[in-house]
Amino acid sequence: MLDSATLNTLAIRPPGVVMDLERLGSLTASRLSFSRSLLRQMARQRWQIQRERFELDEDGFGQTIYRLQTPNGRYHVVIFSHPLSDDQRSDRVTAEAWDLTFGLVEGDVEEALMCSLAENLPLQEAGRQNPQLLVISRANKSTRNFDAFVTALSRGQQPSIDDLKSSGYLYRTTAVYGNGKFGIKDYSRLRDNPDFRQPFAAQMIAVYVLRQFSIDQLEHIAARRAPGTAVPLSNAIQRYVGIGNSTGLGMAPFLINHPLLINQWIYCREQALALAKANLPDESARDRLVALCERAQQYYLESQVEDKDQAERNSTLLEELAHVTAWLQQMPAESTLWYQLTEWGEAALSLETQELLNSLLLEIYPESVDPLEDEMSVEEVQDLIPDMPLIQLKQIIETQFDWALSQDLTDPDERYWFWYRSIEKEEPRLGVRGVDQGEEKEIALAIGPRVQQVYLLLESYLEANPTGVAVDFLLEHSRVVDVVRRIQSMSNTAYGEIRGNLWHRELRPMHLLRTKLSFLGAGRFDPRGDRWVRVTFFQGAPSIAELNAEPADLSGFDDWSFALAPHQT
Amino acid sequence: MMVSYNELQALSRKAFLGIGFSEAQADDAADMVCWMESHELNGLVELNQALQRILAEDNRDKSPELLYQDADLAIIDGHDMSVLQCSHLPLELAFAKARARGLGVLKIRHCRQRQLIMGYLARLASRGMNITALWRHAQTPLTEQVVGFRANSTVPSIRIYTLEEIPDENKLNTGITVIMANHVDLLPTMRSDYSYDLLARHEESELLEVEVRRRASGDGFDVPSSLWDQLKTLAQRTFVESFEGSQLGAGPLD
Repeated sequence: MLDSATLNTLAIRPPGVVMDLERLGSLTASRLSFSRSLLRQMARQRWQIQRERFELDEDGFGQTIYRLQTPNGRYHVVIFSHPLSDDQRSDRVTAEAWDLTFGLVEGDVEEALMCSLAENLPLQEAGRQNPQLLVISRANKSTRNFDAFVTALSRGQQPSIDDLKSSGYLYRTTAVYGNGKFGIKDYSRLRDNPDFRQPFAAQMIAVYVLRQFSIDQLEHIAARRAPGTAVPLSNAIQRYVGIGNSTGLGMAPFLINHPLLINQWIYCREQALALAKANLPDESARDRLVALCERAQQYYLESQVEDKDQAERNSTLLEELAHVTAWLQQMPAESTLWYQLTEWGEAALSLETQELLNSLLLEIYPESVDPLEDEMSVEEVQDLIPDMPLIQLKQIIETQFDWALSQDLTDPDERYWFWYRSIEKEEPRLGVRGVDQGEEKEIALAIGPRVQQVYLLLESYLEANPTGVAVDFLLEHSRVVDVVRRIQSMSNTAYGEIRGNLWHRELRPMHLLRTKLSFLGAGRFDPRGDRWVRVTFFQGAPSIAELNAEPADLSGFDDWSFALAPHQT
Repeated sequence: MMVSYNELQALSRKAFLGIGFSEAQADDAADMVCWMESHELNGLVELNQALQRILAEDNRDKSPELLYQDADLAIIDGHDMSVLQCSHLPLELAFAKARARGLGVLKIRHCRQRQLIMGYLARLASRGMNITALWRHAQTPLTEQVVGFRANSTVPSIRIYTLEEIPDENKLNTGITVIMANHVDLLPTMRSDYSYDLLARHEESELLEVEVRRRASGDGFDVPSSLWDQLKTLAQRTFVESFEGSQLGAGPLD
């Protein structure tokens, strides 16, 4: 972490700009995203992944195990693929069966454990999972892509990759659980394990291995269908296959309930951006940025998105990227080039293009950016400061939560939605206040209105008790202890609070989902309505064979963002 | 059934919310139970007792009452509530007094499941406070428990003992006395002219070993099914039944 003197000399963006919900909803994956940093770590540390068991029938159903050997331990990804009728295949949270279920196991998989996994993993939430598991998940086929690929390979041909441009995967996961859920191992067990020091590293590893399974299973079915004729998938297309993910409102509370962690993620990204911009540009760095812009342009040109709004945003981005490339090619590589670029961007470009450019700037200075990947975790403790003078508490609210105080909660549009947990798998949902049932069970996700409530109570209390401290106030207003604790804990941070009203009629929950997905490393952002999105992970990433080959050129191995479709003859 | 730390914490929290605890009360109560159980100090047994009592009495409108305070001392009436409900803010009050004055004394009268208070004391100790708490389990034989946390330590020293001589004044005492000192260790050391019989003794090193072993193994907790089911039933009070509109958030229509 940088010291404050260094930070002051860097042009680090203020939280009022960065934490705007629409801007957060425009973030794209970057080299600090967890899928990227995980693969760098795996290559650097020479992880090896081998297929240990592959017992599939001719339709690809059965059991598969992959072994992961790291410098610190051994793990296994266990996959069960099941027959599933088309009418059972659902991405909804209420689904109870999937094309495959899988888990990441710490240590070896003895037969007794395998029996327990076979019994419980396919049940997912309804099962009682083994504590040797670090992650459990499930996935459904993209039947169109999968069937077309099997057909082509079994005819001895490479499949057309046109369909991968809209959905870049053969399988999509619908939930990836870690951290003690349903009986699996607690996160605390991973905290001291150097293999998993990045947030969500265990989940990302499981998904990365599943990508290999999707290809192995595909080739197996094709080979069994047409022995002697079937061909393996070309290396270029293998790289272009990612793993999909279907995500809904269930992801939203994480952003609100982990403000210290979110602060850390965004703080690291903002530091990285400030450090990158502080580098003196030269011709080679400018050429590299131009090349990255052109690659991104081609990527968006090839992307086919169903959502009208997102398609429009992508179209604007494409148009603007052409201007950016032209601008870069005309400007001399003088010392202030990166500052000029971002200042011009803020004035002239859409949020989507601005944040894409920021992600690309991080790419050209890995030596400035990559050390920050070790800073992405944080101990999340919110303690009360009982002796904080109330006048100080009030001042913190006025200076750091001014965005919350500015919300006019008497306006019906500002209090339109309420959040609740449905009895269906405890998923968070949105209800219309005064219309939908469940308002009395509202969950406290909208922080702004609660801060405003504390402020009003505080103003009144201070009139009678001008020298009071926090605990005096809380003994009278004990139901707001959690908010006061949060305000105090966040007072030393800049980026933990998302500056938007989660009750507002115009709220777009999609922005919340995209914020987290960008840090995970998701690409091909394709919303389905405002509360559900499909994305792709690891598209363009090196294969397991490339990892096992212990690449000498680590920077080349790492250069896989904005995957482009391979050329086909 | 075996459950993970996170599961126990999350479900207990939801169950406490279902009972009517505030957000912070529910967070703290779940942490207190988990801290006790993860140090093999019968957190689940205490939780079970607390739940039966809380459910048998309607405490929703009760809150701990500040009877007296000056710069060094606070006296609270817990109104017979569990320490899960009535201790966290009074303890924060004592913490503030100790920080200001070097020493703070808190008396909580009339409270239940006092063992669980150790879960919150551990949190205060980790914030740099030396703490001793003392309470009486029974009057005949007279049984006392004293718990001491060193500042910044995550585990206490615990002594439980019976006294052979019973003083004349021996009324039922369901209170707890907590002393916090900013700068001085307050660990319990048994020195008495009275005869006593030491029933239990937990050293810091022993509890630390438990903590380290549990963290290394990642083993979960063996929770009785009946308790788990009760927690689930209570948690369900916070969920909303499915209705047509709620399906909008459940994912794409198939």
